[in-house]
Formats: sequence, structure tokens, C-alpha cells
Amino acid sequence: MNYDIKRSVSLYSYQDEYYEGKLDLEGCLRETAKAGATGVELLAEQMIKKFPKPIEDEQFREDWFAMLKKYGLEPSCYDAFLENRIYRNRMLCLGEQVNMMKRDLYLASLLGFPVIRTLVSTPMPVIEGSLEYAEKVGVKIGLEVHAPFSLNSGWAEGYLSMIRKTGTKFFGFIPDMGIFCRNLPDVVRDKARRLGATEEGLKIVDDAFAKRVNNGFVKIKYDLDLGKANFEYRMANGMAEMMEAVNALGENPGNLWYANNSFTYSWSEPQDLIDNIEYIFHTHAKFYNVHEDFKETAVALPEVIEAFKKAGYHGFLSSEYEGGEHLRDVGVDSITQVARHQEAMRRLIEA
Amino acid sequence: MAARVMFDPQGFQNIEENGEATGFRFRWKSQYYRGITLSIVHDIKVNIDGEDIPAEAISMTVNGETFTLDEMSTVVDPDYRWEFGEYATVNVKKPGGLAKGPHHLKAIQHIAPSYMPFPWITECVADFVIE
Repeated sequence: MNYDIKRSVSLYSYQDEYYEGKLDLEGCLRETAKAGATGVELLAEQMIKKFPKPIEDEQFREDWFAMLKKYGLEPSCYDAFLENRIYRNRMLCLGEQVNMMKRDLYLASLLGFPVIRTLVSTPMPVIEGSLEYAEKVGVKIGLEVHAPFSLNSGWAEGYLSMIRKTGTKFFGFIPDMGIFCRNLPDVVRDKARRLGATEEGLKIVDDAFAKRVNNGFVKIKYDLDLGKANFEYRMANGMAEMMEAVNALGENPGNLWYANNSFTYSWSEPQDLIDNIEYIFHTHAKFYNVHEDFKETAVALPEVIEAFKKAGYHGFLSSEYEGGEHLRDVGVDSITQVARHQEAMRRLIEA
Repeated sequence: MAARVMFDPQGFQNIEENGEATGFRFRWKSQYYRGITLSIVHDIKVNIDGEDIPAEAISMTVNGETFTLDEMSTVVDPDYRWEFGEYATVNVKKPGGLAKGPHHLKAIQHIAPSYMPFPWITECVADFVIE
């Protein structure tokens, strides 16, 4: 199949350097370009202070486009956070949520983004209510498919029905590669060790994860109460048995942390990408640790990129580094990690 | 490389009014990964040298304005976000302030991003000296 796979970096990846003041927005763009990417993904609320005011300012936008030009980058995706619980005593009503979604579509269009990422917590009527406006401003709404959710599931089917019902070309999926983890990331295991985990405890959790991968994960159900859905999903995937075995080893915060963290990752067949390719217009290339030999330790990157090729994907794979949060007690180097991940993807795409 | 810094090392001070110490303050960064409206900061807990501080005695200052925990629940203006990577100042009322010498602080950020099934709760610990 004819494919056009481009590489992008989500600036989420550089959050530790941004937090420490080592990189500002322009510094992140510079590193993105140096890593070899041609696309940039932005969390406006992360790196644009006094959000959303500056985006409506013409001078700010001129500076933004000048920076993109300077570093040879094009906008790939704007990550929106539908803050529908911004007030503590109520959830925003449907109309308010639609207006918030429209605001993000508008802001994304001002900054040149063709796609916004919306989160799994976005109620279906909010998406439906925003489709006409999305078409008007020419920005697509992509629902992030993040573990514990997956494509080819009852959950995704609900959205596919909506696409078929409305015939929209402005809504689809943004898979997050955390759903293609064949084992747990090594940085997570190492952190558990620093927290005092025992090799016996780690093995119980690794074996339980391997069992989930081999038997296939029980899919999460659609429920706006995400806490409830998540808990049921964990129980259906053998959490009780695993916890019992871990607790039988005695009280150990490292073992317990590793066991709980293990539900942050899941395995789906890369074939899911091929089955759903017509609804995928952006991808979060989530990763946790890339070694000097350009091997990612958890995500099955070669198989996933092979599936994208086979499917004829036209779009970005956007590096999203998430290993840093497990290294904050010892030090994080996102710049090196992103550069290695971009090179790993380049080799696989061009192979 | 070094561990992440949560507190401004220069920010631990007594609050003085008319030459009298009425409390203390510290500066910290949000441990969540984007700038947020104060309305989704659902709680801040402070324990100093083993003593729990009552919620009414705690307030936080961003961009020059100070809000009690209760007031924070309605702060949504773009000018008064807790920006990612920037310090906010926590003010604690405590008659007499802190004595000169070493102190141990344990403070908790309870942030509730709308999409998360569980809130983002981080315990931040610091040892510091009041000169």
C-alpha cells in the first residue's frame, strides 16, 4: 500500500527540561528539529502562559509561525483538555462543553494545526455537537485511544457507529502506542527496585502481564464513570490474583507500586491499526526508554510501524516520551531520548 | 543529572507583619504537567515539623494575587493560572512563625484534572533552615 509516514515530536516529551527552565517553547522546537522531525505537536496549556489569551494575539501568532519556519516544522496536532469539571460543584452542561471544544478547534486553527486531540473522557454528544464547527474551521477531532482503551473494542464501536451515522470526515482516532506494549518498560522496573521491590515481586507482576498479553486483554467497557470502568477492567484482567500473590510476599511499597503501575500498559494486536486505518489521522508514538542501540524496551515499534506501512498510513507518528516521570529521583534526559526515538522510527520507516 | 526540584530553595521564609512573625511561606511548582486554573486545585495540605496546619490557615499566591483554598475553587481567569514550571507561593498563618533553625515540611498538592479517573496527588517534602 502507498504510505506517507512523517515524524513529529509532541512537546510533552520535553516537559522535564521545560519544568526546570532548561528549554522554553522555542528551545523545544529547536530540539524537535535537531532530532530530525518535521512535525510538532503542542499542549498549548503546557507551554503557552496565560492560556488561551496569547493565541488570540496577532503578534504572538506571527512569532509562532516565524519559529516554525526557522526550524522547518509544520504543526501536526494540538492537544486539547476538555476541562469539563473546571468548577468543583458541577460538570459543565452540554452547551458549555461544546463551546469549550469549539474554542480549542478555533485556537488550533489559529496556530495552523490540522488536528486536535481530545481525551477519552469527552462525552459523545460534545463531539457530535462540534463536528459542524470542526468542518468549518478545517480542524479534525481525534479521540486518543490510550491504554486501557483499545481499537477493535465495544468502546471504539460506539464511536464508529457515530461516524457511520453522521458520515463525518472530521472525527477519528489517535492511537497511543502505549496500547502496543508487549512487556513493561525497564525504567518502570528499575524505579520499582529503587523503591525496594524484590526480584520475586517483580517476577509475579511481569508474569501476570505476560499472561494478559498471551491470553488477550479483557476490554474496558464504555462508561462515563472512568474510575468505575477502570476498576472493573483491572479486576477482569486478573488484578485480584496478582495483588494477592504480591501481598503474600509481605508489605513492600516497591512491589505494590510496580503491580499498580502495570495496568498503565496494554497490548493490542497491530492488526487493529490496519482494520481501522481510515479513521486514524494522527498517532502518539508513546515511548518509555530507547537504548543506545535504538531499541524501545516496551513498545513493539517494529511491528507497529510495519502495520502502518501495510495499512497505507498517511500521517504523523509523534514521539511522546513518558519515561521521564520514572527517572525524576535520578535525573531525566528527554533530549537524548527523543533523538534516539526519532532515529529508531526513521530506520523502521525507511527500511 | 539531579533529582527534580519541587521547592524554591530560597523561598522558605517567615511572614512578618509590623515586625512580628505571623506565619511562614514557601514556593513550589505544580507536579502536574500543564498549567491549570486554580479551580482544579482541590486541596493543599501542609504539615510542618509534624504539626498539621488547618485548611483555613493556608492560602496561595499566583501572579501577585492571594487566594484562600476556598476562594481558589472559583479562580478560572487566564491571568491567574498556576503555570507549568512556575513557582506559586503558599502562605501559612502560624502566630510567631517558625523558630530559627532546621525544619521539616511535608506538603500535599491535590489537583483534579477533569479527565482523570483518579486525582493527581503528590506529596512534596523538604528540609530547610530558617536563618
